[in-house]
Amino acid sequence: MGTAQLIQNLLNGISIGSVYAIFALGYTLVFSILGIINFAHGAIFTLGAYLTYALAVGQFGINGLLSGMSLERQLPFALALLVGSVLAGAIGVLVERFAFRPLRNRGADPLLALVSSLGVALVIVNAIQYLVGAEIYTFPAGVYGELPPALMFQVSGHPVVIRTVQAIIFAVCLLILAVVGYLVRFTKFGKALRAVAENPATASLLGISVDRFILVTFFMSGFLGGTAGALVGTSFGVAGPYFGVTYGLKGLAVIVLGGLGSIPGAVLGGVVIGLSEAFVPADYGAYKEAVAFAFLFIVLLFRPQGILGRKQLQKV
Amino acid sequence: MNPVIEVKGVSRSFGGLMALSEVSFAVGEGEIFGLIGPNGAGKTTLFNLVTGLMPVSAGSVELRGKKLTGLSPHRIAERGVARTFQNIRLFKGLSALENVMVAQHARTRAGLFSGVLRTRACAAEERRVERKGWEILELVGLAGRGLELASHLAYGDQRRLEIARALALEPSVLLLDEPAAGMNAAEKHGLTSFIREMAARFRLTVLLIEHHVPLVMDLCDRIAVLNFGELIAIGPPAEVRANPAVIEAYLGAE
Amino acid sequence: MGHFLDNNGFLLVTLVQQALLAMSLYFPLAAGQLSLASPGFYALGGYIAAIVGTLDYFAPWRASLGWLVFPLEWLLAAAASALLALLVGIPALRLRGIYLALATIAFVEILRVLSLNLEITGGAIGIFGVPQLFESRWGYIAVFGPLLVCTLVFGHRLERSRVGRAFRAIREDELAADAMGINTTRYKVLAFVIGAVLAGVVGAMSAPFLNTWNARQGTFDASIAYLAYVLIGGSRSIWGPLFGGMLLAALPEVLRPLKDSRLIINGLVLVFASIYLPQGISGTLARFSPGKRKGALPAGEPQEDA
Ligand SMILES: Nc1ncnc2c1ncn2[C@@H]1O[C@H](COP(=O)(O)OP(=O)(O)O)[C@@H](O)[C@H]1O
Ligand SMILES: [Mg+2]
Repeated sequence: MGTAQLIQNLLNGISIGSVYAIFALGYTLVFSILGIINFAHGAIFTLGAYLTYALAVGQFGINGLLSGMSLERQLPFALALLVGSVLAGAIGVLVERFAFRPLRNRGADPLLALVSSLGVALVIVNAIQYLVGAEIYTFPAGVYGELPPALMFQVSGHPVVIRTVQAIIFAVCLLILAVVGYLVRFTKFGKALRAVAENPATASLLGISVDRFILVTFFMSGFLGGTAGALVGTSFGVAGPYFGVTYGLKGLAVIVLGGLGSIPGAVLGGVVIGLSEAFVPADYGAYKEAVAFAFLFIVLLFRPQGILGRKQLQKV
Repeated sequence: MNPVIEVKGVSRSFGGLMALSEVSFAVGEGEIFGLIGPNGAGKTTLFNLVTGLMPVSAGSVELRGKKLTGLSPHRIAERGVARTFQNIRLFKGLSALENVMVAQHARTRAGLFSGVLRTRACAAEERRVERKGWEILELVGLAGRGLELASHLAYGDQRRLEIARALALEPSVLLLDEPAAGMNAAEKHGLTSFIREMAARFRLTVLLIEHHVPLVMDLCDRIAVLNFGELIAIGPPAEVRANPAVIEAYLGAE
Repeated sequence: MGHFLDNNGFLLVTLVQQALLAMSLYFPLAAGQLSLASPGFYALGGYIAAIVGTLDYFAPWRASLGWLVFPLEWLLAAAASALLALLVGIPALRLRGIYLALATIAFVEILRVLSLNLEITGGAIGIFGVPQLFESRWGYIAVFGPLLVCTLVFGHRLERSRVGRAFRAIREDELAADAMGINTTRYKVLAFVIGAVLAGVVGAMSAPFLNTWNARQGTFDASIAYLAYVLIGGSRSIWGPLFGGMLLAALPEVLRPLKDSRLIINGLVLVFASIYLPQGISGTLARFSPGKRKGALPAGEPQEDA
């Protein structure tokens, strides 16, 4: 592999890896406080992509209830991304309120939370399909304004291409990671989050309103999922209501690789899997989709606590 | 004395904490052997090491001269070492009878297909297992509650069911971890004679962890005292009671 | 009339098939193992049947065996599933709870990507024209029906046998089961293999039934659908997956008049059922049946451990 190819792969890997990271962060936040995996997270990802598309482009296709409609006003992309993500966060809050809280209050079998969150995912995904059909929506080229579609430079005589989308994705993810990092490190919310992740019983001791705290966490989780979906959507197109499923599953691989419930782990896992995918040789491109799952399987067998997770001793 | 259980230089650490350090003692055939010590002294940990639920950090445990250390818990159980748990661990969603039937697993043979096809041998075995289950429940005074879910039994009954379950394994060594915890005075008194009776009837060697000192003194042939993971005294009750180190450990801790 | 029978035959066979797949998830769950691997074995079984049924290499077999090639496919599927289940199960079943579930999801996804890319599985297009065992869809009830009955009897009797009790003890408390002389690893693997073999055979029966087989037959969505069948039907007895599988698989059909919005309702049903039917349908029914009343009343509250 030449230097140019190496750099190209690195850039591609870091860009997609940073999206995996913020998406997986959404899973990990919820897992670290509730110890459950929110299977609606992939659907929220999808929702974020559609919401951002609707706000930024507002042109609907030929299927679904909204077929042929177009919105009168469009938001600039950055604003659409923000509003779309906030709305996704709000849906995250609704998911918590209606699908998780009743089960939690009853102290139900955590497996039921799996089913109920999957029920929510079905509702979201099929509501999308009902409204806008199963077709592929792509963001038009000019959506970011006057920027050129790509940057190109030469490394020892070979071209390296950075698509503008990739740069935008990376910048947005970095910004988000910085904000989340600040929230977790330096705010009261972050302290509470770490305390609860360590030991759920401490929450009430700290005088935290647990339900409200959990709502905030679900909002952040939904926001992160929605942003990730929107970013992937601008890069590769919004490939139908089910396009979040694969990302939803890859996200699981990411959090397990980094260490279930570990916040730095989610980021590290995202970057590792993004890079590994980018380095799959083109001849085996079709197997790229299996990389995350191979990681998931192997990590679970040999180091189930992940890279940054701690091993738990069983109490007798 | 021909030792049944021999604990040889056993240590166990959790991170930096030495829960047990180089503990050695031997328990003879038919003995009722008490294990006392303040909370956190390492008593339960010792049971976990003997039954293979945790690996030792150093040392070994032998049953009649054969090494137990390194075997998985079910192998150790098969060899006749049964236990109860300090925090009752019944099969809560199974009936009391089923709890006692499950424990006969290692003493029975039925496989997947013979069990499902209900071969004649298998049906006979199943009847035997059930009959024996009722007998053991009768013995601990739970025959009337055999069909109730274990989780629906009163606390004292759950403790007795745990002992019944351990007996169903047909052990030669019985490890009881605080069997009297949470019982009232009358129940505790009943427990003393019950343990004595069972030990005689099934020729058991009993290791007993207990906080209630009168009960231990009354019941045990010999007593070992653990403090901060170290064996500080061992001997007949009267001797141990007079031991200054024991008095220090107990009075210092309580 | 024939058309009516054919349509409804397809539906009925589908319901039975879904109930069987729910049972394939129920068996490991009965031993406390949340495995979502069923769609992987289902896909494997289907590919085996589709390959044996269509590949030129097997033409002599088909010619000389006639219809007996179908039972042979089932056997092959069962054997292959058992083997793969041992291979995957022995390392994976050291994992507990959600970790095992995640490992099995990875297993299903790896198989799916493989089948999308291998030549022998027909790549993304899959395998077409799998020979039919019966002329009408309706006829398939003759194979799925007996399999359902056998599995029900098997599951029902298993619950009351030595091995079934060992499964349930592991489900209740794996560590205590181990300390009571039960080889937990062995029975966890056994339960996993039973589920795998069932899913594999159902797959091998389904490929002729569906006439075609492709990578969409074994997906993550299906895993969760089966889990929903079991949990909503009730996971404490073999009747749970039967009720749950049949009812939930029928739901989209019942809701067909709602057209596109029917899957939305389906999702809502999952949410409501998880919240309001914690014991599942069969558990909820059992609570109201007079025979079980006694056991349901607590005889005394366990106190806190001292
Ligand atoms: N699984 C474990 N992990 C970490 N520490 C443990 C574990 N089990 C026991 N300990 C520690 O070992 C020490 C001895 O505990 P234990 O054997 O339960 O004491 P005892 O039964 O004498 O009250 C305690 O300090 C306890 O916290
Ligand atoms: Mg103890």
